[in-house]
Parts: sequence; structure tokens; C-alpha cells
Amino acid sequence: MSRFLAMPTTRRHLLLALGALVVVVLVLENTSQFRNAQFAAMAYYAIAAGGLTILTGLNGQLSLGHGALMAVGAYTTALLLQEPDSALPLVLVLVLATVVTLVVGALVGVAAARLHGPYLAGATLALAVAIPGIPLYFSETLGGDQGLRVRMPDIPVWLDDAVYFVTGQGLTPTRFLAYLGWLGVIVVFVLLANLARSRVGRTWQAVRDDEVAAELAGIDLGRARVLAFVVSSGCAGLAGGLLALSTRLAAPSGFALTLSLLLLSAVVLGGLGSLTGALVGAALLAFLPQVVTGFGADLGLTDVQAAEIAPLIYGLVTVLVVLLAPAGLAGGLRKLIHWRRGT
Amino acid sequence: MLTVDHLSAAYGAVRALDDVSLTAPEGEITAVLGANGAGKTTLLRTISGLVKPTGGTVTLAGRDLSGLSTEDLPRLGLAHVPEGRGVLTELTVEENLRLGALGGGRRAGSADLARVYELFPALAERRSRLAHVLSGGERQMLVIGRALLSRPKVLLLDEPSLGLAPRIVVQIFELLRGLVRDEGLTVLLVEQNARSALSIADRGVVLNLGAVVVRDAATTLAEDDTLRHAYLGF
Amino acid sequence: MQQLLTTVLTGLTLGMVYAAFALALVLIWRATRIVNFAQAPMAMLTTYVALVLIDAGYSYWLGFAVALLSGLVLGALVERFVVRPVEGKSEINAVILTLGLFIVFHALAALVFGSRFRSFPAPFGLRGFQVGDTTIALTGFGVFTILAVAAVMVGLVLLFRGTDLGLRMRASAFNQEVSRLLGVKVGRMLTLGWALAALVGSLSGLLIAGGGLVHPSYMDGVVVYGFVAAVLGGLDSPVGAVIGGVLLGLSLSIVSGYVGSELVPLAALVILMAVLLLRPGGLFASVRERRV
Repeated sequence: MSRFLAMPTTRRHLLLALGALVVVVLVLENTSQFRNAQFAAMAYYAIAAGGLTILTGLNGQLSLGHGALMAVGAYTTALLLQEPDSALPLVLVLVLATVVTLVVGALVGVAAARLHGPYLAGATLALAVAIPGIPLYFSETLGGDQGLRVRMPDIPVWLDDAVYFVTGQGLTPTRFLAYLGWLGVIVVFVLLANLARSRVGRTWQAVRDDEVAAELAGIDLGRARVLAFVVSSGCAGLAGGLLALSTRLAAPSGFALTLSLLLLSAVVLGGLGSLTGALVGAALLAFLPQVVTGFGADLGLTDVQAAEIAPLIYGLVTVLVVLLAPAGLAGGLRKLIHWRRGT
Repeated sequence: MLTVDHLSAAYGAVRALDDVSLTAPEGEITAVLGANGAGKTTLLRTISGLVKPTGGTVTLAGRDLSGLSTEDLPRLGLAHVPEGRGVLTELTVEENLRLGALGGGRRAGSADLARVYELFPALAERRSRLAHVLSGGERQMLVIGRALLSRPKVLLLDEPSLGLAPRIVVQIFELLRGLVRDEGLTVLLVEQNARSALSIADRGVVLNLGAVVVRDAATTLAEDDTLRHAYLGF
Repeated sequence: MQQLLTTVLTGLTLGMVYAAFALALVLIWRATRIVNFAQAPMAMLTTYVALVLIDAGYSYWLGFAVALLSGLVLGALVERFVVRPVEGKSEINAVILTLGLFIVFHALAALVFGSRFRSFPAPFGLRGFQVGDTTIALTGFGVFTILAVAAVMVGLVLLFRGTDLGLRMRASAFNQEVSRLLGVKVGRMLTLGWALAALVGSLSGLLIAGGGLVHPSYMDGVVVYGFVAAVLGGLDSPVGAVIGGVLLGLSLSIVSGYVGSELVPLAALVILMAVLLLRPGGLFASVRERRV
């Protein structure tokens, strides 16, 4: 174990990634369609949460607008896939969605770079409430209230064959999306983990901890902040695209303020700045609602009411985490590991 | 009137007060002196409850103050004018004064306010202005006046001369001496400016690194050259 | 001309409600340096309390009074038991805390009261006044709104400037330590501050709901508009909050009338960013610099 931890960072991350890939294949191949869909959801939540946890945890910028940025990715994906004849490969569509969101993120990030604490929260809150209004206004092109249907392109034949060759099963669209999502998670997390350990990551933390000192050390505060925002926006955009594909819909109702708040609570629960924590938070977002709805039905609640138990839990745990364990769950675990390494 | 008994306090691992004992007798000015960081301000803050002691007790007119919160003390007769004066600059002069009276448990009557304005005419001129506009010396007068309105038995003063022109310092210290004489106040006066403090004090206590090193009559301290050079800077 | 008048009157009425909400935010900010984002769902909850009573047959005014009272209690409880531990500490923790509360209150409302849209009564009528043979866009309810908010503001001014309690509350907001030395029970003042703020927030919740539909998310926009109004006026200034609210109400009404109601939140965002980047201390700040 200590030899593993002592390896150079990049190599360790790649090994973890490889291991994760194996686990993903095993899990997805051996679970039902329903579960696959849940794992697909966990994947896109993880990507969005990963970006957000880096932004808030490492760089100290609290954003309540990442749900809105997911919307940007989702709508871009929907628009790009609208023409049935355009043979844009899915991966390219997602990359484009990411890039568009990166650009929007840059614009927002530049404006946000000068804001702190509650002002930043308030401004991104305003963003989260404002963005869903845009497709409502431009309802002809952006689908208005009903939203845009997302056309799921056909799975490439070669991929279907390859998967059959390896696993003996065909590739359903749901499973395909789950694989795509988890591939995304692995790639994004390796990138984020490397960034976090690199000079860029340390610069972000310096800016978070002490602006004056950072500036005196020659760090361009604005640029560091905008970069962090852009990276996290890209993650949100990719996540939004995957969400659009999974739900086959890009509509304003799917990106209400609640989404941004839930993302934030997921990140807080897992521990700000922790990618493992982002995974934990994403798992909660993807799996808890179903668990809890069943429990709620037992209590005699209607489905709609039972669906509120999950957010209630997130909210309560967020409050408790802030009051009792400000470093979050994963943060507590990390402290434990460091303590043991030290002794 | 005010007795401090084996009082200790710490900021984390740093021992700020080390087994300090002293008595501030009624109707006298007791000066607390020492270099920067000697623990003088910490002493006052511990007496008034802003810092929780790690040991020892404080007794005011026979009453043990352990366990009481800061906000309870003005009503018991303890007024603390903190380091930096503690003027509430967003309130008017008169509002500051009224707060002083409220702390002592009663509203400021016009007679009470008149008395303060008589003592400090500069305040009377600016009674409806925001305290923000007052000069350093005027602010010091304001906080002393504010403290007096709570009808204290004991007055804790933290570095009243800080940032003031020597002429003003003399004025204020003369005033203090007069107040103690006329009202029978007990004053615990923390000062960096040891020379001025000793000129109006009856007795003095010298702190170093949180502990008492000397206690004696003020005149004796002022005349002891070695002591003055070692701890008091003059 | 008619449309302009309508726009202005609507904007004025709505602006007063945003002003009330902004006032609630400013009261809490001044006392504890926290922006209470959860104020919106708190107001939403108290409005639901009123709705339950009204649907059960009780008079609107009873529901109104109970809602305000619940706001008072809720604000006090939240400050004393949830927010107190993070006061004076890291900014980010306080923001996350209020957001956690936001989620909790939202979910609670949906759980307890349901998510469907329900209508809320508006006293004094929703028909515009007749002037000659034109109907102007000022309703009885609109006048009530303006008067109610104005009354609350006057009440607050009287409290803060004219009473000993108000003096103590202001002192606590300016300097906790000095206030404690002056015998002010600062903790209680802070709790009272939150309670009053929540009362004002509840009022704005009731006024927004009047004649419209209530559902768990109905106040979400208002938290943004209230925040923008408060920032417009300078987060520290109650008077600024009121002026900011009215100005914002007018601006958004113009956007709604001449561009489209869907873009109103976007307009609010633009106004917010303009103020934060150009005049961070608010429109009326004498100081140009402000840490935002």
C-alpha cells in the first residue's frame, strides 16, 4: 500500500484509472438495464460534481450556477443532434458541447472572478434562475416549455461487435450511455486529479487561502480563478450533454435551481476538494431517490411526496456537515489516512 | 474593591497571564504597566470576561465574578473601556452615551447626560453627530463619559493615552484624577505611557511575560531607576 | 402611454415587495454578516401555514397574522440553533449552511403541503381602479401591498431609532465585543434581528402570493430579486434596500412589458453584475471600493 502511495502521481492515477475501467465493465455487464441507467446518472453527476468540487474546494469559489451550465451542455447536445442526417459522431457532439460550455464558463468566470463569498453565491444564484428563462423566450429554436427532444444516435456497429466479442452480450443504448459516461468520469477525473496535484492546482489553493500573499508571489488572481471556473464549466457541460442523452430531453424544468443546489450539497457531503467525495455525492444523487421513495411509499406517502425525502436528506446532511464536520465526509477520512501515515 | 487572585489565562499554547494577583483598592488609581505583550490588555480582558481564565478568580466588591458573562458585569458595577476605545462610530455621540447608561441598568436621564456634557463640553457640541467625526481626544472623553453613565464601582481603562497628543493626555489624566477624587471610583489603568500613568496613580503593578514582577506605591516605582529602565522604558 | 402607466404601477407595487425582501436580507446581513438565502423558502413555508388556515375556513387576516408570527418564531429558531455556531467564522460555511436550509425547507414544504399549485387570496380586490372610463393598473391589493410594506418600514425605523431595544440591536450589529462590554446581550439581539427579518420576509411572501399561485418554488425568483435590490442599495443600508427594491421593480417591469417576462431573471442578473462590477458598494455608496 505504501509503495502504491509512493508512486509518482501520474502513474498512480493511470493505474487507478485502469482498475476503475475494469470495475466499470464488470459492474455494468452484470447489472440490469435499470441499474445501468442509474450508473449512467451517477456518471454524469460525478463529472459535474468533480468539476464543482475542484472549483469550490481547491479554488474557494462557491458556484450555484453549475446546474445552468449543465443546461448549456444539454441544449448544445440536443441542437447538434437535431438533424437526423448529420453523421456527427457522438463523442464529437459531446466534445463540442463541452467546448461551448467552456466558452460560456469563461464569460461567467471573468465576471465572477472579482466576487467572493455571498456575492459570488448570489450572482451564480441569479445565473441559475436566469438561464432556464432563455429557452422559454426563444421557444421556436429552443423548444420552449416542452424542451428539445434529444435524438439518440445509433450505436456504431463496430462497437456493438467489439463488446459482444469481449462480453458475450450486445450493447443496448442504456448500457452504451453508461459506458460513455464512465469513460468520461475516468478521463475527467484523471485530468482533474493531475491538475489538482500540479502547479495549477497549487496556484488555485494559494488563491483560495490568501489572496494578498498569492498576488505578492506573482500569481495573477483573475487568470487563476477564471481557469478554475472554465475547467469546472467544461465538466458541467459534458455532464449536461450526457444527461440530455440519458433523459432524451433538454427542457427548462430539468435545470431548475434545485439541480445546482443538489450538486452543491453532493459536493459538500463528499468533502470540498475531494474527487472521491464527488463520487460519493454522485452516488447519493443517483441512487438515494429510489431507495428513499420505496421507504416513503411504505410510510403511506404518495410518489410525489416520497420523492422529496431524498432532497430533504441531502439538505439535512449538508446542514449537519457544516455544523459538525466542516471538512466533509471524505475530508474526515483523509485526515485519518494522514494520521496513520504519520505514526 | 477589585481583587485578582492567582489569575491565569492562555491563548492556545501561549501563556498570556501567569498567576497574577493584585488588589485595586477603592478610591485609588492602580496603574498596570509593562512592555508590549506583557499581558496588560489580557488582564483587563480576562477580568471583564472576554477571555476565559484557565485558573484563578476575580472578586468585585466581595462578589466572585467566575462564571458570569461579560454582558452581566456593567450592571454589577464594572466598566471596561477597551483597547482602541471602542467608540461605536456609526452611532451618534448621545447614542453612545445612552448605551452606557443602559448597560448600568437604567435609562440615561437628562440630568445624567447634562453632567457628562458639563465635564466634556466638546461632546455637548457634537451630541447629535455621528461619533465618527470625533477626534482622538474627544473619543477618549466619549468612552469615559459613556463608562461613567453606567455608575461603575470599578473602571478598567486600557491605554487611554494611545495615539493622543501629549497635551490631551495631560488633560485626560487630570480629569481622571479629579473623577476618582470626587466620585470615589476605583480605577485600574493599563498604560504603555508609564510616566504619565505613574504621575496620577496611587500604586502600580508591573507585568512582564504575563506575571507580576513588582508592585509598589506609584511614587516609589517612579523613583526606582533600575526598574524604570528595565521594564518601563524611561 | 397606457402601457407605460401600467408598467410603472406594476413595477412600483412589485418593487415594494422586493424592497421588503431586500430589507429582510439587509437586516440579517448587518447583524450577522450572513446573506440568508434560505429566507425565500422560509417565507414560502409561512405562507403555506397561512394557506392551510385560510383553506380551513379561517379569515385571511388570521392567516396573515399567523404567518407573520410563524416567521418571527422560525427566524428566531433558525438563528439560535442552526446559524449561531457559524456566525463570525468562515464565509463559505455560512453560505453553504443557508443553502442547505434552502433545500430542507423546500423539501419539507413539498412533503407536508404538496407540490401542486394552489391559489392564494388577495384582500381588497384585484381589479384595477376606474378613473373616468379607463382602468388603471393599480388594484386594491396593490395599494395594500404598498401601504403594508411602508408601514413595516416605518415600524422598523421607529424601533431602531427610537427605542432602547433598537439601539442595542444596532450596537450589536456594529460591534459585538464593545456592545457586550456595554452590557448588551448580543446573542439575544442577533436572534431578535433574525426574527424581525423573517417577519418582514414572511410579509413579502404573503404579498407575492396574493392573487397568484403558491407552490414550493414560488419564492425562488424573489430571493434573487431581493438580493439584487439589496446589493443595488448597498448591502448595509436599509434605506438603500427600499430604494433598490423599487428601482429594480420598475426596471424588471419594463423588461417584462417591453421584452418578455421570460427574460426578467436574466435582466436581474445583468443589473446585478453591472452593479457589482461598476459600483460594488451600491448605487448610493460614497465609498467606491468594497470587497464583494
